[in-house]
Amino acid sequence: MMATRVMVPKGRTLLGWALVAPPVLLMLVFLIVPAVRVIATTFHTKGSPGLWTLANYQSFLTDGYALANLSVTLRTTFVTMALLLLVNFPIALYLRFRTGRLAVFIQALALFPMFVPGVIICYALMRYLGPNGLLQSVLELMGMHFYRTPIGGFWGPVIGLVWDGMPFTLLVLTAGLSAISNASIEAARDVGAGKWQILRAIILPQVKTTLTVITSLNFLSLFGSVLQPFMLGPASPEMMGPFMLRTFSSVRDPLMAGTQATITFLICSLAGLAYILTIRNRPDGGKT
Amino acid sequence: MNGSRHYPNRRDMLKFGSVAGLGALLTGVTIRPAFAAAGQIDVIINSDTNVLDFWSNVIKPGFEAANAGVTLNLVSSGGGAGADALAERAFAALQTKTDPQTDMLEAYGPYHPEGAIEAGLWVDFSAVGVAGYDKLNPVTIRNAWSLPYRGSQVVMFYNGDKITAPPTTFVGLIEWIKANPGQFAYARPDKGDSGACFIERALQEVTGQKPELFLGDNYAADYADPMFAKVFDLLKDLAPSLYGGGKYTAGNTPSIQLLASGAVTMTIAWSDMALTALNEGVVPENTRVAQLQDLAFTGGFSSLVVPTSGLNKDLAMKLAEYVISAEVQNQVVTVLGGFPSLGWDQMDPALKEKYAAAAPTSIPEFPGPWEPALFDGWYREVASNLTRD
Repeated sequence: MMATRVMVPKGRTLLGWALVAPPVLLMLVFLIVPAVRVIATTFHTKGSPGLWTLANYQSFLTDGYALANLSVTLRTTFVTMALLLLVNFPIALYLRFRTGRLAVFIQALALFPMFVPGVIICYALMRYLGPNGLLQSVLELMGMHFYRTPIGGFWGPVIGLVWDGMPFTLLVLTAGLSAISNASIEAARDVGAGKWQILRAIILPQVKTTLTVITSLNFLSLFGSVLQPFMLGPASPEMMGPFMLRTFSSVRDPLMAGTQATITFLICSLAGLAYILTIRNRPDGGKT
Repeated sequence: MNGSRHYPNRRDMLKFGSVAGLGALLTGVTIRPAFAAAGQIDVIINSDTNVLDFWSNVIKPGFEAANAGVTLNLVSSGGGAGADALAERAFAALQTKTDPQTDMLEAYGPYHPEGAIEAGLWVDFSAVGVAGYDKLNPVTIRNAWSLPYRGSQVVMFYNGDKITAPPTTFVGLIEWIKANPGQFAYARPDKGDSGACFIERALQEVTGQKPELFLGDNYAADYADPMFAKVFDLLKDLAPSLYGGGKYTAGNTPSIQLLASGAVTMTIAWSDMALTALNEGVVPENTRVAQLQDLAFTGGFSSLVVPTSGLNKDLAMKLAEYVISAEVQNQVVTVLGGFPSLGWDQMDPALKEKYAAAAPTSIPEFPGPWEPALFDGWYREVASNLTRD
């Protein structure tokens, strides 16, 4: 598809600006200005507020405890991201090629977490997967005594985040898959391509963009997650979200919390960049 | 706590890059009440949800019914730094003679920001003639600028079927934990404070049971660190005997849940939350409460502070009088499961008969300025010293 340049009358341009002005202003006043102010403070120390320095960053990067937290955040993010694709891609494929009641039911089931608040999910998971929870009781009734709860360990937040991120991932994947034309698949079938060949040669190349988009968006929300790591994870190592919050409100060190936030922001902006580049390179400029 | 659900707008928001993500994190921990309006009292609540419920369900309707045209705007601060920021703003507003937009802070003290007392930021309750002030139980009053209104204490909360004689000393408690590995849990110190009180009691134990070593104005790293090192050693040594080989719950409610599900036999809880859990049947009927007999777990009376420069100061003072009236104080006992700050002779005689003997004559407190370093040290030294699966 060729992008064609349309001349827009002047009055319409103004209208366009007027329409985007409120959200842009809101972002500017409530997000960008406070964020820039915080970032600026992280280049000063408490002792010498006039001096520009990297001391706060140095203290973060030489603090083994903080680095362990950063590392567990990255690990949790990548593991959860991989699991989200692994779980949702087959469901999305199924929904792309099957219709009928069962497909509708499966879709509804997969989207269900979207309608349950995160904190409720956390408490529900604690009761279900927790010690002496329903799962353990059922297993023990069947004579299986090996169960140890994942809540409070590395896998606790991963499970919570997979549950939480499922609907969004599935929606984006099904949207991406639905853009693949039946004609191209049928054509491949006609020349004798098997299921795996269709997946590899027809489907995967066409959903590459979708996969990049969902991966970068998932990265952003997972890396900054607070609720699941705090409710379902161990006390330590902490993910960056709870770590920042604790540094701010319990350690009462807004400067260090700001430094942690800036580092988080820098890492997340890589994913943001990947997302923006993907969107921009699409033929329609990301309007679909 | 910040929810993580923002799907409908996520895509649009992120087109602007992840500045939005950072901004959400930054704004997520900043709170600000609505602009001050005449007849609307902005009350900042610093306590857990059961206390916010008490304000919403008991104090707000009672006060609004008695004062037509007045509304209470209850705002949860969401953490220490949130309330600190509001106190700092109120102090700044005092200096520029503008409205602080905060009429009352709940569970807050007058010592932050520094110099606020001297500058006259907080109402001096002993001097202004608050009705009922002279009827308060004198042991509950810490200073002239904070008005105590509810007391709570941290207690051992345990399964009465499995434990017939609970430990009476801290040493006894440590012995019990080690003799029953996996059966005891305490919460992270910065979440809900019950875990904090356990750690603080341990600190008092390793320093010879002398609470007077810890004062509101004597925290200094050189003085504190050797004592902290001792308590961290004790707690590290204890970790393998705790629930899950050293897992710490995410707050008061998760601790009580572990006890309710039978995963642990004993935990540490606030007395008011323990009584509420018992009354509501959250925990089995055989659940019991006990206090250490050598030196009690710390606790304290939560107080109200009122900025002198608030637009609605007179209404806030009226509210303060209502909160320490017998009408509310009786419900502090019956609804909230707390201790009243009003003298027992002013209380409902039936309640007096039932509870006065059990109420402590004093509740040991641990000073706030010590906590940031103690808690952060705990995370770095105690919680991280674990082998994870």
